[in-house]
Amino acid sequence: MSKRDVLMEVENVSVTFGSGATAVEAVKNCSLTLHEGEPIGIVGESGSGKSTLARVMAGLQPPSAGQIRFRGDNVFKGNKSFQSGNRNQVQMVFQDPYGSLNPQLNGLSAVAEAVRIHSKVGKDEAEQKALELLERMGIGKLDALKKPRQLSGGQRQRVSVARALSASPTVLLADEPTSAIDQSAQAQLLKLFLGLLNDGLSIVLVSHDLGVIRYLTKRVYVMKDGVFVESGDTETVFNDPQEDYTKMLLASIPGELGKAARAKLKR
Amino acid sequence: MTSDVKLLDINNVVIGIERRKRETLVLVREANFDVNYGEMVGIVGESGSGKTMICRSIIGTLQRRGAAVIGGEVLFEGLDLRTINEAKWKSLRGKVIGYVPQSALAGPNPVLTIEKQLAEALSQVEGTGSMKNRSKELLDLVKIRRVDTVMKQYPYQLSGGMRQRVMIACALASKPKLLIADEPTTGLDVTVQSQIMELLREIRRDLGTAIILISHDLALVDEVCDKIVVMHAGATVEVGPTSSMSKPRHPYTVALNSSRIDVAKPGGELLTIKGNPPSVGQWNPGCRFAERCDYVQQDCLVGDHPALSGKKGEHQSACLHADKIGKI
Repeated sequence: MSKRDVLMEVENVSVTFGSGATAVEAVKNCSLTLHEGEPIGIVGESGSGKSTLARVMAGLQPPSAGQIRFRGDNVFKGNKSFQSGNRNQVQMVFQDPYGSLNPQLNGLSAVAEAVRIHSKVGKDEAEQKALELLERMGIGKLDALKKPRQLSGGQRQRVSVARALSASPTVLLADEPTSAIDQSAQAQLLKLFLGLLNDGLSIVLVSHDLGVIRYLTKRVYVMKDGVFVESGDTETVFNDPQEDYTKMLLASIPGELGKAARAKLKR
Repeated sequence: MTSDVKLLDINNVVIGIERRKRETLVLVREANFDVNYGEMVGIVGESGSGKTMICRSIIGTLQRRGAAVIGGEVLFEGLDLRTINEAKWKSLRGKVIGYVPQSALAGPNPVLTIEKQLAEALSQVEGTGSMKNRSKELLDLVKIRRVDTVMKQYPYQLSGGMRQRVMIACALASKPKLLIADEPTTGLDVTVQSQIMELLREIRRDLGTAIILISHDLALVDEVCDKIVVMHAGATVEVGPTSSMSKPRHPYTVALNSSRIDVAKPGGELLTIKGNPPSVGQWNPGCRFAERCDYVQQDCLVGDHPALSGKKGEHQSACLHADKIGKI
């Protein structure tokens, strides 16, 4: 396979919240590249700035400094993002499946609404497309007609993914998609993500769980206090971490994966 | 300590909730496991498998949700918890049996400082020395640094991990014999999770407290617990010492094991459990896992849910065809 085209570039991006003495620099001078069809991971503890960076990449949060380019075009013009189209190309799945769906809408309406907005089709056609998307995410028609409160956390998260896919994006930004759902639901979601990668989608997975990152991604950026402290091939970072912070993150994974790292730390 | 009386013995417990028209909806049936003094026991299962309901039956807060233990025995040091009155509960709950609820972030009272929070817990138990010193001791116990600052702070000023430590401190105020931790690390970072697990292990080692750890993460439980209890659709389907649970004897445990990402190859096959757990009140006859099971046979679909094989304390499975597992 020839070298894949660069899809997104984040160049020296910083994000500062507040001003003066209370200013917090959540992201400091971070750069990353995302290629077509590539799964990358951003890993770090709470407060490391990984979600903020994901929001910048999705065009939801203007950076204080630096640039984000999608296929070579600047995403932000001033504080406005995706002015020249392409907004549909980068879609985000949020952390909390309990808070990110409208409690009044059933799964089908939630996804159909997004389909109508993105592809300007009639109601019937939109519902048909929504059903297909939900089906692909393993949500049958019966469950698609349920309100979010009647669905399990894993099912809700899959509805959220279907909604994000309704825009036919090329990049899916997933912010801690598995942290609020149980182990078997997590396995199910990761399997769906693998399927999406096979279809050519690029995925940016943001997580504090290195186990999930290792499973899905090829390259990883390790973030601490707003800075990338280490990055590289996921496998290399896992087998031969350079930074103490990465080693500590590795040792925190429960079970088999963390065991080796813990043994190394003790030595 | 008498050798044959268990700290906690859950025997064929049935938990039901009364609905309109006097109809009872059964949430848990065939729950069976025990906890020895000083033992660390993990309870795993998907959401809705009855893990939390079992806990509530041990601390006597089921009736607040309109539910009740309607069959079997919950024995705490030989005392049947079904038969005791509210006054007796008050002498057990929060004293002999400590409880750390699920949501660390919502746990502490938001309008009380940490000092007041701890004082409230401590006011329920006898002790010597000033309240302030006793509170400080508790915070030391859960490895909180900068104790003097933290005492004056409100929960919103603390991180999730710190709040969970405070909740554990409150539960430890009375030096309980049994501590129940209901998904204590859900929603927390892996790094904080490993610190909290380390803390629980130390509490067990230093104070001899028996701990029930509820989790959906098999890898986590596998690492810290002496014994694992697997729940599915309100029933205990497998119980055994952690060491022998690496060779599971129930298809549900097998399936849970294969959905673990810590043992999966990157991008490799991650087996998911077929279908969804059966809804409460919609249990089919026979084994409740049958619909989702790869090993299902004709006899799995009739009669009652299979009972656990063997004796308590051994590796037990509620599968009729446990001998075939791993041979398909």
